[in-house]
Amino acid sequence: MECVIGVVGRDFAVVAADTSAVQSILVHKTDEDKVMVLDSHKLMGASGEPGDRVQFTEFIQKNLHLYQFRNNIPLSTAATANFTRGELATALRKNPYYVNVLLAGYDSDVGASLYYIDYIATFHKIEKGAFGYGSYFCLSLMDKLYRPDMSVEEAVDLVDKCIKEIRLRLVVAPQNFIIKIVDKEGAREYARRAYTDSPPEAATSEAATVAA
Amino acid sequence: MKLDVSAMENNFAAHAAGGEDDGGLFGAGADLPAMELPTCPADFDGFQKETKEMLKHKKGTTTLAFIFDKGVIVAADSRASMGGYISSQTVRKIIEINPYMLGTMAGGAADCQFWHRNLGIKCRLHELANKRRISIAGASKLLANILYSYRGMGLSIGTMIAGWDEKGPGLYYVDSEGARLMGSRFSVGSGSLYAYGILDEGYRYVMPVEEAAELARRAIYQATFRDGASGGCVSVYHVGPNGWTKLSGDDVGELHYKYYPVEAIPVEQEMADAPAA
Amino acid sequence: MSIFEYNGSAVVAMVGKNCFAIASDRRLGVQLQTVATDFQRVFKIHDKLYIGLSGLATDAQTLYQRLVFRHKLYQLREERDMKPQTFASLVSALLYEKRFGPYFCQPVIAGLGEDNEPFICTMDCIGAKELAKDFVVSGTASESLYGACESMYKPNMEPEELFETISQALQSSVDRDCLSGWGGFVLLVTPTEVKECVIKGRMD
Repeated sequence: MECVIGVVGRDFAVVAADTSAVQSILVHKTDEDKVMVLDSHKLMGASGEPGDRVQFTEFIQKNLHLYQFRNNIPLSTAATANFTRGELATALRKNPYYVNVLLAGYDSDVGASLYYIDYIATFHKIEKGAFGYGSYFCLSLMDKLYRPDMSVEEAVDLVDKCIKEIRLRLVVAPQNFIIKIVDKEGAREYARRAYTDSPPEAATSEAATVAA
Repeated sequence: MKLDVSAMENNFAAHAAGGEDDGGLFGAGADLPAMELPTCPADFDGFQKETKEMLKHKKGTTTLAFIFDKGVIVAADSRASMGGYISSQTVRKIIEINPYMLGTMAGGAADCQFWHRNLGIKCRLHELANKRRISIAGASKLLANILYSYRGMGLSIGTMIAGWDEKGPGLYYVDSEGARLMGSRFSVGSGSLYAYGILDEGYRYVMPVEEAAELARRAIYQATFRDGASGGCVSVYHVGPNGWTKLSGDDVGELHYKYYPVEAIPVEQEMADAPAA
Repeated sequence: MSIFEYNGSAVVAMVGKNCFAIASDRRLGVQLQTVATDFQRVFKIHDKLYIGLSGLATDAQTLYQRLVFRHKLYQLREERDMKPQTFASLVSALLYEKRFGPYFCQPVIAGLGEDNEPFICTMDCIGAKELAKDFVVSGTASESLYGACESMYKPNMEPEELFETISQALQSSVDRDCLSGWGGFVLLVTPTEVKECVIKGRMD
């Protein structure tokens, strides 16, 4: 029941993901960081099969570093996105990586950007997006509340609303989330959202009983 | 390209092409059934399974209903689809059972229409026998009991029974799996998850009728935007102490441009030439 | 669900008098979920040659990249643009290369050839060419598109009328399809100019 969410704001991008490592009915750990910092100004939120996810994101990260060492210049976000797609696309017909990726980055010339790349290598530049079961609840919320000129606080608030909704409606919702942002200062962890003991505002019949 | 000749194999097409007697669907001749009937030999379970498959004309749907301080709001889209094909954009998915009670349809179109009509009859008979209107709890229980007795036979219904009775507003979710739930807000159908997103975020118990109607409308609209199987029109009903009233019916084609009047220039994706870093 | 219907698409091309138009929808979906409404399925090969790729989005993108690559090589070697007929053969060859593990795309090719003769053609996913003089369609809305084009198409339309016809045909067809629509993209090519247009449509 993984969830990865991404939003682009005025001059930054936010990527949030749950931090549960799950295998069938077992939760291995609840602080698995699924948002990788690729280089100083790039974030990669990934969901999918655990082995593939770690292998693939590390592979992309190392290749980015290699490129930077060789050329003394980092790869742009668009180029990284295209590289990522290329790798997924070639793998698709050999032995596919089962990884869905939201790639966020900040470039001094184009500003913040976010790319949607799924495991079959469908590539698209987006402003807001989500992967996993959580996407069904988040996408409509983001459609309604998103504005292109959001501030960091507003964007994180939107992500919080999405997390709240996932916890309220998704069966076996993941407990903890991690939120990272990337802007001109660089990519960094912004906050974590741990599951508090007080249950979320339950979808009970409180109103019905009040009325009755 | 492999030529698909499967359409020529059934009797109806062969006859029409032959041009004799041209009786159409029903004139296919006594020895040739116009449509292939599932045979029912010893394997009765297989027969049931086949009929179930035949009836899989599910509607993609978004319906929702919620209770608030001034009654109940019920809203739905109006699309009927068969697979990827949109068979209608003007389906009435909110059924007026009586002046104080509404039902919503999700699932099989025929199943919903028939059993809601059937429920309407039963409610009226109850009214005549007992000289007062049936409660929402009672009506939903009638329906749930019927559906439970047909469980496993292939009915496909996901409905909400909403209305106003002696106890005030009432809302129940009933489905063909046999569930019957009382609650303050529900959404049913393929787009329900999208609708829940909007509904949960904007819902408060105390709000004006207009605001509640707008919340319902927006929730259905956002669901039609993201869900391919929902669309058409958004109908919104309100049920108060004096029965239901239809508040609005908006075409989603127009509603979208009402919510987003000036279209932002869409960001075109760049694939061929990536900008330099 | 067929893999051709995974993302949802509608592509159509029509021939007019010394001109042609090619149009597509703008939805990118994952089955019934709409992911984006600014997706591009019609691509430029050169000023007078365009290709629309319906079907699986990832393969449309891969195929487009390979086609651009092959066309650029051709330009370097021959120092001229490809003729539409030649390009169609190239697409066909690339598709048949993957006969036993095909690209899940149905291409629509439209271009102006020598003497500005319009050329349109479509193909199945393994490269069987199908030439037409009037219109070609592909995608999840192809059945509705056939109906709309069959009734709305007239031979020798002027550019303005052609633009109107293809837009109406596209719009009315995608309105009967769950998996395509959410706006449209129309491209009108005459010997002297190219008109690109994003058209508004129902967003459900």
